Amino acid sequence: MAIARITHLSYWYPNAPDAALQDVTLQIEDGLTVVAGPSGGGKSTLLRALNGLVPHFHGGRIAGSIEVNGMDVIKTPTRRLARTVGFVFQDPELQTVYDVVDREVAFGLENIAMPRTEMAARVEEALHGAGVSHLAGRRVRTLSGGERQRVALASALVMRPRLVVLDEPTSQLDPEGAAMVLDATMRLVQQGRAAVIAEHRLERLLAAAAALVTVDKGSVITGPPTLPTTHPIARPAPSQPGPLAWSLAGVTAGFGNHTVLDAIDAAGHQGEVVALCGPNGGGKTTMLRLIAGALSPTKGTVERRPGRIAYLPQNPTALLHRPTLRAEVAMTLERAGEPDEPDVILTQLGLAHLAGRYPRDLSTGERQRAALAAVLPGKPALVLLDEPTRGMDDAARDALTRLIAHLKESGSAIVLATHDQDLRNALADRVLRVSSGKVT
Amino acid sequence: MNARSVAAWSAACLFIVLFTTNPAYKVLVLAAAIASLAAGAGLNRMRGLFSAIVLIAAFATALNFASAHLGRTTLFTLPQQIPALGGPYTLEALAAGLSGGITVGAAIVAAAPFSLMLASHDVMDALPAALSRTGAAIAASLNLVPSVAASFVQVSEAQRLRGWKPRGPRSWAEVVVPVVLTSVEGSIQLAESMEARGFGSGPRTSLKATHMHRTDWILVATSAAAVIAFIAGKAADWYPYPTLHAPAIETVPLAACLLLFTPVMTWRSRG
Repeated sequence: MAIARITHLSYWYPNAPDAALQDVTLQIEDGLTVVAGPSGGGKSTLLRALNGLVPHFHGGRIAGSIEVNGMDVIKTPTRRLARTVGFVFQDPELQTVYDVVDREVAFGLENIAMPRTEMAARVEEALHGAGVSHLAGRRVRTLSGGERQRVALASALVMRPRLVVLDEPTSQLDPEGAAMVLDATMRLVQQGRAAVIAEHRLERLLAAAAALVTVDKGSVITGPPTLPTTHPIARPAPSQPGPLAWSLAGVTAGFGNHTVLDAIDAAGHQGEVVALCGPNGGGKTTMLRLIAGALSPTKGTVERRPGRIAYLPQNPTALLHRPTLRAEVAMTLERAGEPDEPDVILTQLGLAHLAGRYPRDLSTGERQRAALAAVLPGKPALVLLDEPTRGMDDAARDALTRLIAHLKESGSAIVLATHDQDLRNALADRVLRVSSGKVT
Repeated sequence: MNARSVAAWSAACLFIVLFTTNPAYKVLVLAAAIASLAAGAGLNRMRGLFSAIVLIAAFATALNFASAHLGRTTLFTLPQQIPALGGPYTLEALAAGLSGGITVGAAIVAAAPFSLMLASHDVMDALPAALSRTGAAIAASLNLVPSVAASFVQVSEAQRLRGWKPRGPRSWAEVVVPVVLTSVEGSIQLAESMEARGFGSGPRTSLKATHMHRTDWILVATSAAAVIAFIAGKAADWYPYPTLHAPAIETVPLAACLLLFTPVMTWRSRG
């Protein structure tokens, strides 16, 4: 049975010349619908149209119609649709209102003025539905990313919605956290709920999906849930590493009284890619910051060869602040005194067509690539990337892989902190496991 | 512990410390606030707060000492030619500055239980129904504060590695602008998420009922009694100029200040 009907829907964000959705006609049935497509293609806009955030929250112009569970979305405020459509966003940190799990889950019920006597049972039911009953009473800030995202799922389920919409819920999570959230989503579908999920990790979901919707350039193609054809990433030819580029000898580091890395030794060479893997909180980011010189060790010595350091932090889009993407790249090149044109790296990362756009107007995946373009142009001596493929689609990841291979061939020493096993397999000359303060 | 009783005690502390000019009573309020907070939150959690208070109080003291060239007991004199700072530095100005520093310190410690001992939802639940939507919005925005601080560290580090160097206040725009933009975007996403969960639908209810226990009523009663007694006791004012003298201490205002130590007993179990 169709839970949602979208008919000839077109939508323009405020002041945007091009439509974000173009004449979309789509029927969403019960069960699991997977939404795929490249970054910036319109996936998030489509999902937001299902609960009325588009157009009620974002403004802009809309044409056509959307109906969810018999309700006209364009005429119904989002706050009323909240009882019918549950929504889980990408970033678990930016959807938390309260600091205790059960209060957080009850927020929606409080908003619709549900009597207190009925709330406790509904909260318990939602926590159970999302597989997080054991987290009741916990402080939200003490939870891992995966746990937080499942609490967000429970917060959507508590309204007993007919449809649950998840917008790339695993993009900010490590593999363990992502698996938790996808498992919870699958359970939800098995329990008979309708769910729509936008996701790049399609392998696990497609087996259980009723339909696959591909959104590209604002248009929609529906089809059977089969994996799109992907091209394996060509591994660059092995090369002989050059001279020592960076080294940590007997290094201990941490924050206050908390030791994160304890007497570690590690080193990397020019023209070599070293990948850091290990659990969240294990010390990967601390190690990158030590190599970059952003953090001083409490013991031991850190050495690096002279030259520019290209450092991509965990939340790289926070860097972007220039009026255009081209200006953002030009600023780095100008400071480094390098003669390259900004368009070189923009082309390498498939961003040339966005060079004149304001970086913060781009989609999440495009912004991730924009931030990479902002730190990587020219010929950096040392490249330090913290989770560079987070939230990226396959095409963007391929482009990044090629760029890193090119930097390696140019003699840059590269260190990647990444959970992305495909990226490690494609690029790493050596893999170091950073866990519990040790490097093995 | 009920946020309303904490609010009553904080209000009583703030009233007395801001109402009187007498540093003896200000010191007592500061002592009551520190002792109560230590009992409720534990000394470990107060370390950062203490450092901040000492700095702020020292600044307030130094500011008055350096700017109020009044009083008869001159400690030293800087040449009049030095703009703003030139003139006699007196014991009276130092004492007045110290009294101001104690006022600021006591006011901060009196308000500190709201952040150190209560969760944002405790405070929200204590608000009248008419303010519950505002309270929810404030509670949500408070949850963004840690991410703003983390974003500041991350952006300044990354910009430094991108070639940025702090050269005067204007150069900080390259750190502050991205942090502000990120915070604004975070707020918009949070608002989007709240809207998607029915926020703004109308009157709200709350998962947990807020109950006033016996100890909460005791605290409200003693706080009210402290304010009434302090007003009725007509505490003598203190003015250190032109010659420094010891502040007068009277029985009723003294008793009023001692009532503010009540949380040492009622909050002790939380320490």
